[in-house]
Amino acid sequence: MAAPTKKVFEVFVSKVPWTVAGKEMREYFTQFGPVKKCLLPFDKDSGFHRGFCWVGFSTEEGLNNALQKDPHVLEGAKLQVQRNRRPFAGQRSNRDGEQD
Amino acid sequence: MAALLRSARRLKFSPSGLLHITGTKRNGPPLGRLYSGALGGTRPGVCGRQIGPASGHASSSRVWPYAAGCVRNYAVATEQKDEASVVVRSKQAQQFDWALAKLDSSVRRTGRITKTLLLRIFHDICRTGYPSGNQALLLLRSCGSLLPEVPLEERTELAHRVWEKLQELGAQYDVSHYNALLKVYLQNEFKFSPTDFLAKMEAANVQPNRVTYQRLIAAYCQNGDIEGASTILGFMKSKDLPITEAVFNSLVTGHARAGDIESANNILSVMRGAGIEPGADTYISLLNAYAEKGDLDSLKKTMEAAESADSSLMDRDIMQVIFTLAIAGHQQHIPDMVERLRHERGYVPDAMNLCLRLITQSQEDTAFHILKTFPTLQSESFNSDAANLGNFFLRHCVNMDTSLEKIGSFCKELQESNMHTAALSFALSCALEAKKTGMSLELMKMMKEQDSPIRPHYFWPLLTQHVKDSNTAGVVEVVKGMQELELCPDVETLTNYILPVFPSMEAARQALKDTGISLDSEGFVASEVRSVAVSNLAKLYTILSDPSCPSMDLSVFRGSLILGFRKSSDVESMVKITELLYKDERFSKGNSKASEATSFFMYNLIDSMSEGEVQTQEDKLRKYFNQLQAQNVTISVNIYRGIKNLLESYNLPELIKDVVALVDPNDRVSSSSASAFTRFAGIEGKVLALENKLSELKAESKPLGIVLKQAIQTLCAEENLQRALELKQEHEEEMTAGGYAILINLCCRHDNVEEALNLKREMSRKDSSVVLDPSKYLTLVKSLSKNSKVEEAVDILKEMKEKDVVLNDTHVTMLFHMLNAVVPKGGAPTIRRLQDTIFTLGLAKPTGNLCSPLITAYLDSKDLPGALDAALECQKLYGHLPRIHDIIVGLVEKGDTDLLQKAMDFVSQERGEMTMLYDLFFAFLQTARYREARKIIETPGLRSRPGRLHWYAEKCISSNQMEALEQMVEMTAKLFECDRDEMYSYVLRLCKETNNWEKAEAVWMKMQEENVIPRERTLHMLADVLKNNGQEVPFEVPESWYQQAATTQQVKTATSLSPAVSGTEFQTRLMALCKKGKAKEAYKMVKDTDKKGVALSPAPYDVLIRALLAEGAIEDAMAVKDIAASRVPGFQLSDIASSLLIITHSKKGQYKEALEKLQSMLQVNHVPSQLAITRLVQVLGSNGDVAGIQEVESRLTGLGTSLSLSSMVFVNNTALAHIKNGDVEAAVEVLEAVFTSPNSTNPSMSFVFRKVLEDNNDKALDKLNAMAERLANHFACYRPASDLFLQLLDMDKVEDAKFMLARCNAVAEQKDVLVSYLAQKSQSPGQLGKIKALLSLIPDFTEKEVLYPYLMKCHVMDKDLSSAKALHEQIQKEGVVIDELSLKRLAVLYHTEGETAPFTEPPESFKFYADKLKERAAKVQTTAEA
Repeated sequence: MAAPTKKVFEVFVSKVPWTVAGKEMREYFTQFGPVKKCLLPFDKDSGFHRGFCWVGFSTEEGLNNALQKDPHVLEGAKLQVQRNRRPFAGQRSNRDGEQD
Repeated sequence: MAALLRSARRLKFSPSGLLHITGTKRNGPPLGRLYSGALGGTRPGVCGRQIGPASGHASSSRVWPYAAGCVRNYAVATEQKDEASVVVRSKQAQQFDWALAKLDSSVRRTGRITKTLLLRIFHDICRTGYPSGNQALLLLRSCGSLLPEVPLEERTELAHRVWEKLQELGAQYDVSHYNALLKVYLQNEFKFSPTDFLAKMEAANVQPNRVTYQRLIAAYCQNGDIEGASTILGFMKSKDLPITEAVFNSLVTGHARAGDIESANNILSVMRGAGIEPGADTYISLLNAYAEKGDLDSLKKTMEAAESADSSLMDRDIMQVIFTLAIAGHQQHIPDMVERLRHERGYVPDAMNLCLRLITQSQEDTAFHILKTFPTLQSESFNSDAANLGNFFLRHCVNMDTSLEKIGSFCKELQESNMHTAALSFALSCALEAKKTGMSLELMKMMKEQDSPIRPHYFWPLLTQHVKDSNTAGVVEVVKGMQELELCPDVETLTNYILPVFPSMEAARQALKDTGISLDSEGFVASEVRSVAVSNLAKLYTILSDPSCPSMDLSVFRGSLILGFRKSSDVESMVKITELLYKDERFSKGNSKASEATSFFMYNLIDSMSEGEVQTQEDKLRKYFNQLQAQNVTISVNIYRGIKNLLESYNLPELIKDVVALVDPNDRVSSSSASAFTRFAGIEGKVLALENKLSELKAESKPLGIVLKQAIQTLCAEENLQRALELKQEHEEEMTAGGYAILINLCCRHDNVEEALNLKREMSRKDSSVVLDPSKYLTLVKSLSKNSKVEEAVDILKEMKEKDVVLNDTHVTMLFHMLNAVVPKGGAPTIRRLQDTIFTLGLAKPTGNLCSPLITAYLDSKDLPGALDAALECQKLYGHLPRIHDIIVGLVEKGDTDLLQKAMDFVSQERGEMTMLYDLFFAFLQTARYREARKIIETPGLRSRPGRLHWYAEKCISSNQMEALEQMVEMTAKLFECDRDEMYSYVLRLCKETNNWEKAEAVWMKMQEENVIPRERTLHMLADVLKNNGQEVPFEVPESWYQQAATTQQVKTATSLSPAVSGTEFQTRLMALCKKGKAKEAYKMVKDTDKKGVALSPAPYDVLIRALLAEGAIEDAMAVKDIAASRVPGFQLSDIASSLLIITHSKKGQYKEALEKLQSMLQVNHVPSQLAITRLVQVLGSNGDVAGIQEVESRLTGLGTSLSLSSMVFVNNTALAHIKNGDVEAAVEVLEAVFTSPNSTNPSMSFVFRKVLEDNNDKALDKLNAMAERLANHFACYRPASDLFLQLLDMDKVEDAKFMLARCNAVAEQKDVLVSYLAQKSQSPGQLGKIKALLSLIPDFTEKEVLYPYLMKCHVMDKDLSSAKALHEQIQKEGVVIDELSLKRLAVLYHTEGETAPFTEPPESFKFYADKLKERAAKVQTTAEA
C-alpha cells in the first residue's frame, strides 16, 4: 500500500552509550551495508541523546546483515538491535539537527 | 524440643553454611537436620530461591512504616534511575497512599530516598493544600537517615522547612509529630535544647509521652550530658513510666561521650540488675562507644560478648561501627571490621548507603575501601552488559565535589581491576549532568591522556544550559575548553549549541574570533550555509556556487534547505540551487550520486509539506518542476512514484503531470487502485435453528406431567414426604424426571436413604439418560455415605462422571461440606474412598480444602501419625498439604520430635524452607511456646509473607487469642519487609472487637516507639476504640465522609432546636449538607453565621465552594470565596475547587473566564484536573479558538507533571476549532500529522467525527472522510476510517456506514476498535439496535465468546427478559461456554422480573466474577506472551 520509496530497511537500536553520537553510529553500521539514514535524537534540554537510534539501510541485505550479528558491541557497550517495528519512523525527519 | 531450638540458634549465628553443618553435627540431636536445607550445602541462603525482584511486591504490600523507622534490612537494590517515572504521576490517586507508595518503593529498592523525590512529594502535598497529619508525619520521618546523600545540616533544615510549611497550611500536629521530629534530630545529630523543645510542646498544648522522654534522654546522651539525661529519667520515674532498654542504650552512649567508658560498660550490669537483658542494640551502642575511642581490643571483646549473649550482630551493625571509626579518624581499624562483614542478603544496598554516607562526610577513601568489597557478580547478574560497578559511587563523588585527583584515582583503580569498563567516561557524564564545567573539562583532559576520544557532543550538556540562560560568556568559556582539548566545534555544535546564543551571525563571528577560534572550519561554513538556506536562497546560491566553497554533503543542510524552499517564493534560485546540487558532485560525499541525492531531496521536499501548503503553493511548484525540466534535470521512476503518491494523498493530482515530465517516458508505469470488495454473510441460518427448537418443545409437552410435578413440588416444600410418595405411587406412569429429582432430594433431607435409592433406581429404569442436577447428586452421595452405603455413594459418583455432570465452584464447596459432614459417622476410610473416587474420576480438581476432611477425620480420632501420613500423601498425589498447621500444632503439643522432624523435612523439601519455618513459627505461637517461636522468626534471610501472617492474624482474631497475636506482632518487628502498620492493625481489630481500649492505647504507644506511620484506616480503628470507651483521642482523626454524614444526621435532629452549635459541629453539619447536595442550604448557613462573625477553618469553605460549583452556581461560590478570603488570610481555592470552577465556566460557554482561571492556577503552581482541561479545550474548540487551545497545551507542557491527558484532546479540538472557523484544510492537516507521525499510537478521533456529524457539516465531513480513506489506503492507518464508520453507525446512518465499509473494507478487520465500541455500547440501555446494525454489516468481527456476554449485558440493561432468555438458549444450543458474570446478570434479571431462574445463580458477587474474568484474560495474555 505504501509508496515504494517509503520502503526503508530500518533497525531500532537501543542502549546506545552516551559517548557515541550519530557519526559513530553511522560508521559502525556501515560495515553491514550502505546506511541511508541514521537518526539519534538528542534531548535539547539535557544535551544528552536519549539512548536509542534508528538506522536505515539502503538495501535489505544491509538490514539482514545487521540483524544477524549478535552481540553488537560499540565502545565496550552492548547495543540492542532489532528490526524497527514502528511504521513510518523518521519519515518526517528532515531536521538537520537530528540527522547527519 | 530443646535440641531443635539449640540447633536453630546455632545455625542462625553460623557465618556460613559450611560451618553450620559441622555445628549441627557436633550437636548431633535427631532434629539437627531440620535446618540443613535452610542454610547449608551449596545454596546461598535460606531464601535463595525466594529472592525475587523486590519491586514486584511493592504495590501489593507496603512495608514503608517499618523501613522508615529503622533502616535495617533492604531488598536487593538495582541501581536504576527511574525517579522521574516514579515522580511524574498524576495525583488522582489518594494523596497519602500515593506519596507513601512512591517513598516506599524508593526505600524498598535502595534503602534511601533522594532529595529530589522527597522535595517533589513535599511540593505536591503543599500544592493540593490542607495536608493531613499523616502526610506531615511521612515527610518529617523522611528527613533523617533515609537521606544519606544529603549533609546532616541540610537534612535538619529540610525537616524544619517541612514542619513550618505544613503548619502554615493547617496540618495538625500531635505528640507523634513531635516525636518524629526528635527522631530526625537524633539521626541528624542536630544540637538543640531539650527544655526549649518541651516548652514548645507545652505551648502547643501537646502532652509529651514515654517516647518523647526516651528521645530527649537520647538527645542529652548524644552530647554526653548525663546530668540532663538523669533529670528526665527522674521525671519519668516520678511519673511511673517504664524504663525500657532504649533508655539504657542511650545511657551507654551518654557515659561514653562524657568520657567515662567504664560507666558505659557498667550500664549492662545495671540493666541486668533491673531485670532487663542487654539486647543487640545495647551492644551496638557500646561498640560505637569503643569505635569512637579507637579501642580495637574492646571492640573485639564486646563483639564476642554479644555473640555469646545471643544478640546477633548484623552486617548493618558492623557498618555503623565502620562509619563511627571513619568519622573518628581511626581508619587503621577499619580492615578488621570489614573482615567481619558476612555479606548477608541485602548487603549491597546497605553497603551502598554506607558508601554514600561516608562520601557525604568526606570519607571517600573509606567508602572506596567498602566499594571494593562489593561482589562483582552483582553487576553481572542484573545485566549481561559490561561491568559497571561503582556508578552510584562516582556519581555521588561528583555531586559532592570530591577532588579530581581522588576521582581520577578511583576511576583508574576501578578500570584496572575490571570492576568498571568505563569509569572515567561515566564520571564525566555525571559531571556533565550536574553541569559542572570545570570538573567536566578536567575529566575530559584525563580521558584524552588515556587516549579515549573526546567528541564534540560531550560539550552539549554544558552548552545547552548556557544557551538556555542566554549566557554568552558561558558558551565562550566552553568553546575555549574545546580548543584546549584540540577539538573544533562541528556543524551540529555550532548550529544548535553555540550560534543560537548570539544575536546574529556577525556577532558570533566576532565573539569567536576574539577567543581565537578559527572560522574557516568546515563546521562553521556549514552552519552558515544552514542559516542562509532558511533566509536567503539567492545568497545561498552565491555561496554554494563559489568554487572556494568546501565540499559538503547535502545531508548537512538538507533540512534547512527544505525549510528555505518551503518559505521562499524565489523559484529562480530554487531551480539554480537544485541544478547545482544535481550536477556538482561536491554536494554528495556519500555513496549516492549527486543526481540521485537531488531527486530524493525533491521527494523529501514534497513529503515535508502539508496538504494545505502544497495546494497553496501549486503554482510555485509547477513553475519549479517545469523549469527543472527545461534544465534537463530528471528523476527516477521510484522517486516519481513516491511524489505521485504524495500528491494524490494531498488531493493535488493536477501536479502529477508536471512531475512525470521529469521522468523518462519509457519508464512510466501506471498503477491501479485496489479493487474493493464487500463482505456479507447470511444470518438466515439462525432463524431456522430457532424454529426447530420450538417444535421440539411442543412435542415434549405433556399436560399431566406438569401438574403432577407441581403437586409434588408443593408437597415437598411443605416437607410432606409421605403424601408426596403416595402421589408418586398413584401416578407412576406420568412421573417425570423432575418429579423424581425433587422426591429424591426430599428423601435425602429426611435421611430416608433406602427410599431415595429406590426412587433413583426407579427413575433410571424409566429413563437411564436422565441427569439430576449436581447439587441433588451430591445430597444423595452425602446421605448414602452417612448411612454406611459407601459403595452406593461411589456408584453415584461414577454415574455423575458417566453423565458428564459438570461441577462449578458452588458445587465444589458443597462437595467439601458433604465430605466434612461424613467425617463424624464415616471416619477416615470412608472419606478416603470418596475422596479418591472424586479425584480419580476428575469430578473436581484436588484442592487443599477438598483434601482436608480426611485429615480432620484422623485428627478427630487423635491419630496424629495417620493425619501426617495422609497429609504427606496428599502432597505427593495432589500437591496439597491440608491442615498442616493443625497437625504440627498437635505434634508440638505432644512433643513427638521424630514425627515433627519428618513433617518438617517433608514440608521443607516440598514447599521450601520458608514455608516450613512459617509453619513451625505458627505452631509455636499457637502452643504458647514464644521463646521458640522467636528463634524461628529471627532466622536470617527469612522475609515477610503477608499472606501467611494475615492468615494467622485472622485466626487469632476470630478465636480471640490476644496473647498469640501480640506476640506475633512483636516478634515480627525486625522481619524483613514486614508491613508494620498492617500487623498493628490486626491487634487493634481484636481490641475493637473486645472493646479493650487500654490495650489499644498501648498499641499506639508501641507504634510511635517503632516509628510506624499508621494508615488512616488504622487511625480510625484506634479512634473508634478510644471514643467508644469515652477516652480522649490524642491525635487528629482523618476525615471520612460517610461517617461524618451519618453522625451529623443524628446531631442535626438532636440539636436543630438549640441555637448554640459549636464550631466543629457546625462544620460537620455544613459538610454533610454539601455532601448531600444541599449546597444552597449550606450557603445560607454560612452567610448567616458569617454575619455573626464566626470564622470557619479553610476546609469547610472549600467544600462549600465545590458543592456550589457542582450545581453551577458560580456567583454564590464566588461570594463564599470572598467570605473565606475575609476570614482566612491567604485563602486560596483548592485544586479541586479551581478545577470545578473551570468546568463550570466552560459549561456555560464562558471560555475566556475559564482560560483566565487556568492561567492563574498554573501561575501559583496548582494542578488542574484532567476533566477541567478537557472541558476547557472542548469549549475553546467549539468556539474556534485555536490560539487558546495552543496556549493551554503549551502551558501544560511547562507544568512538568503529566495529567495522563490524551494528546488527542488538543488535536481533536484544534481540528474542530479550525472547522468552526471554516478552515477544514487546516483541520485535516493537524489530524493527518498525528496519524502519519512515526510515533503515532493510532489514537481515536471519533470526537471530531461526532461533532461534525452532529452539526451536519457536510463539507467538513467530506474532507475528513477523504482523509480517513487516504490514511487507510496509503498509510495503512485504519483508525480514522474505523472511527468514522462507527460514528456513522452510532448516528444511525447505516447506509452511509455500509458505503464506508465498501470503500474501506479493512475496517472490518479492526477488531480492537470494534470490540471496544461493542463494550462501550453495552454500558447503557437502549443501544442494542446499534450493535445489531454493526453485526448486520460485519457479522463475524469477533468470537461468539466475546460477543454474547456483551449482548447479554445489553438485554439486562434493557430489562428485556425474553430476549435474554432467547439468547441464553441460543448460547446453550451453540455450545458456547457462558461466563459466570453473564449468568449472574441473567439470574438477577430473572429476579427483578419476578421469575425464578432455571439454573443456580452463581453465588458470589458481581465483582468477584468480573475479577475472575479479568484474571483469566490476564493469564491468557501472559501465556500468549510467554
